[in-house]
Amino acid sequence: MRFSLLYLLSALATTMGLLLWSPWSVWSPWSVRSPWSVGTRTTYASATNHPGKWSVGTRTTVTGIGAPTERTTVIKSRRTAKIKTRGRATADTITDYYSVETVPTPPGLVAETGGLAFMPDGRLAVCFHRGEVMLYNPKTKQWKLFAEGLHDPLGVIAVSNTELLIVHRPELTRIKDTNNDGVADVYETVIDQFGMSGNYHEYAFGPVRDRQGNLYISLNAASNGAGIRDEVRGTYDPLGRPGRMYACVPYRGWVLKQTPAGQVIPYALGFRSPNGIGFDGAGRLFVTDNQGDWLGTSKLYHVEPGKFYGHPSSLVWKKDFPDIDPLTLPAQTLDSMRTKEVVAFPHQRMAHSPTQIVPDLTRGKFGPFGGQLFIGEMDFSRLLRVMFDTVGGQLQGACIPFFDKAGLKIGNNRMAFAPDGSLWLGMTDHGWVGDRGLQVVRYKGGTPLDVTAMHLTATGFDLTFTQPLDDATARSLTNYACRRYYYKYHREYGSPETDKQPVAITAARLSPDRRTVSLTVDKLVPGYMYEFTLGDLRAGNGTKKVANRLVCYTLNRLR
Amino acid sequence: MRYEFMHLILSRLRASLLLLLPLGISPVLAQQKVDTTITLKSIAGLQYDQPRLVLKPKTRLRLVLENYDDMAHNLVVTRPNARVRVVDAALRMGAEGASRHYVPDMPEVLAHTREVEPGRADTLLLTVDEGAFPYVCTYPGHGYVMYGILYGTRDPKRLPPPEADPYLPKRGSTADHAGHHQPSGHPYEVTLPAVYRTFMPDCGPAAIAVGMPGLAGGPVQSYCFDAGICQLRYAWSGGFVDNADQWDGKGQKLTKLVGDIYYVASSPGRASTAGLTVSTATKPGSAPAPSPAGLVFPLRIGNKPAGHSPVVQFRGYRLINRYPEFQYVVDGVTVRELIKPLPGGRGLVRQFSIDSAKQPVTFLADEQPGLAYRATRAGKTAALRNGQLLLPAGTRQFTIFMTVQ
Repeated sequence: MRFSLLYLLSALATTMGLLLWSPWSVWSPWSVRSPWSVGTRTTYASATNHPGKWSVGTRTTVTGIGAPTERTTVIKSRRTAKIKTRGRATADTITDYYSVETVPTPPGLVAETGGLAFMPDGRLAVCFHRGEVMLYNPKTKQWKLFAEGLHDPLGVIAVSNTELLIVHRPELTRIKDTNNDGVADVYETVIDQFGMSGNYHEYAFGPVRDRQGNLYISLNAASNGAGIRDEVRGTYDPLGRPGRMYACVPYRGWVLKQTPAGQVIPYALGFRSPNGIGFDGAGRLFVTDNQGDWLGTSKLYHVEPGKFYGHPSSLVWKKDFPDIDPLTLPAQTLDSMRTKEVVAFPHQRMAHSPTQIVPDLTRGKFGPFGGQLFIGEMDFSRLLRVMFDTVGGQLQGACIPFFDKAGLKIGNNRMAFAPDGSLWLGMTDHGWVGDRGLQVVRYKGGTPLDVTAMHLTATGFDLTFTQPLDDATARSLTNYACRRYYYKYHREYGSPETDKQPVAITAARLSPDRRTVSLTVDKLVPGYMYEFTLGDLRAGNGTKKVANRLVCYTLNRLR
Repeated sequence: MRYEFMHLILSRLRASLLLLLPLGISPVLAQQKVDTTITLKSIAGLQYDQPRLVLKPKTRLRLVLENYDDMAHNLVVTRPNARVRVVDAALRMGAEGASRHYVPDMPEVLAHTREVEPGRADTLLLTVDEGAFPYVCTYPGHGYVMYGILYGTRDPKRLPPPEADPYLPKRGSTADHAGHHQPSGHPYEVTLPAVYRTFMPDCGPAAIAVGMPGLAGGPVQSYCFDAGICQLRYAWSGGFVDNADQWDGKGQKLTKLVGDIYYVASSPGRASTAGLTVSTATKPGSAPAPSPAGLVFPLRIGNKPAGHSPVVQFRGYRLINRYPEFQYVVDGVTVRELIKPLPGGRGLVRQFSIDSAKQPVTFLADEQPGLAYRATRAGKTAALRNGQLLLPAGTRQFTIFMTVQ
């Protein structure tokens, strides 16, 4: 039944000349099977993953529906060489290692999730779009109302079992239950030293806290999809009003920091829609920003004080910035002022709209990716995983999907690791593409075959895997394809992949422990994305199949 | 063609057929959705024959009032939620009212007919905006029962059914809108008092809407507090809020208030009190900005010169039996303000607590027609003079009673 359905779909897709599935998954039973078998949501949304970027010819040998033994698929990308893959029905799937479960939410709740955080006692604090803050006890599976009346809350820190820090449109608020009746009775304003024009897009994100106890929030710019109110909070600056996304009141497009003493410091600027803010295990602050004007594609920034990250309107609130509309500066000038992203997420290919950032500090409870950043994604049934590389003392690195099309809902706006190492996901749609509700991803054990590190070398890239690779597949050059392109930094919305070129891979060497493949590539040029597509790499004598085949490295500087 | 439009045409046709009145618009013209004429009849029992009209926004409407009753009426279209405020103002016109058709001169009045004697008709013209616009007869006493609602909407399916419409008069009961059961939009019933931080009309963007239960037989009352300037902006009775539009999608639309506004904080040009304006500190280290609302701030700490702009900072609130007690700093002095409904009627009881009692404090009453102020300090009546309550150093607490007369 499963395969006949699959066959039908594929035949249909081929006939219509449309490829709906990711090319690599067309004939791989595991990656297609999961959306049907998990059943929480069919992942049609993932069909837009590679629209028109690939043409596919399929040559299949099917000995009987429902009993496929071996198939060969030849996949041609426009720019890359032919890659031959061999699929076997015996291979593993990511759902062998991770499970996903939908958590029921209370009847009557519109579960547009704005924030998730675990309290010390293991209860989950969740805030929702309509202002409710509810506590979920995973042991008893009971929901309880803790606070209400917030204005579009979009992030939470659990300070204790009775105290939360929640950011919503007007402020960062400390919400406390001081009389121990289980319901909050104190709502203290913590940070409201920023403006509000009343424009809908002026969301506030965060909060996150560093080891010294400083708090950070990030502030969305306004959108010319709507105007502003007659009355605004804060100083109005008409120089910040032009543009597609704008900052006509203070600190829109900024990250603000508050010291434990209560001082609010404008910390960094140049953000457009910084819906993700978070620290990694080393205490470095990161922000995700969303593709749009001045962002050719979505990005991950390493945020350091005083730096400007590229979206211009927020410059009007920089102390020493002249009294001009920043959009009157040439793009070249702005380009020279900005700090580039450490990782870009190729639009459509990898992400549409990255969200929260959480580091895996579970010490193995969530599988083999300890220390790495997981990032949510709104429009695709997947999360993103980031692998850093330090070159010349500076961060850059690669991104790769996680749990791609394996049963996650879309709209993964918020994430939190539970004390038991499970990863809780909160969905929202909020007027955009997305979904609602709460899901939890649990690591079941075992080691999927996946890329766990990617490092630039003088001649190419080292890809390190979670376990030793099967020799034959790893050494075969046909199992690696690479192309490069860049995204424009300009006022227009988004950017095409620019100066697209295939990159020839001239050698693939396997390390003695068989875990690292050193690829020599034809040419390394800074300022480009290097996008790798892996073939049918295997481990465990063919029983383990590489879980994710797309991995993209942001090459800012050469080693 | 939308059904409500059909309904209007039909009602107009019915009117023209039955009354044989020349209306000057053919059905074909009406179908162009540019101009439409609606004839309302005032009929016996202090009512309009059609209490609810639904039109598309930007419709240019000719509204005819035909008086079939045995007494004079008028028809006044007001701003949203302003019916009672306009009716109250008309009542205060006293002897002067008759000569001005009982139409008060105030911005809440959008359009009006003249006085219409029995058997006569008059016409008004207006362009329908998006929103809910009350129409009401402002003849003394009529307006509390004789009214209707004109909706400008592209989405009539989202309107409440007439039996649950808070803007329709309730025959045979009080005009209180609080008894209707509407889904809360939450996984629980909303219990009053309740707080929503949301985008409210006629307020800065950091608005707080508070709904309060009626006390001692009084109506449900609500108010809007502006956290940006730490100030009460307006109050209304007969309901709380409708968040459906604000919750929908990306959050651009405003929350609607349900009920009738009875108090709006005055801007200096309209207020009788002398000129203080409010500033908020927004850019750390920079000069305070003038309040966009341009309102008189009600508290003056110490002997500040007239024209001094207090610097205010919102600090949040704590819930006392679910009533929020706001905390804010005025020129360095922490103030707490707890607002409750006036028992048994329309009005507010505002209890102020001052943390530091080193300086005298002045409360500046926002005096308005139809609004009475009373004050107590330490359980005793304190006198307001020229709209000001002077509180000596050492005052820790005082209470202001605002009563709609």
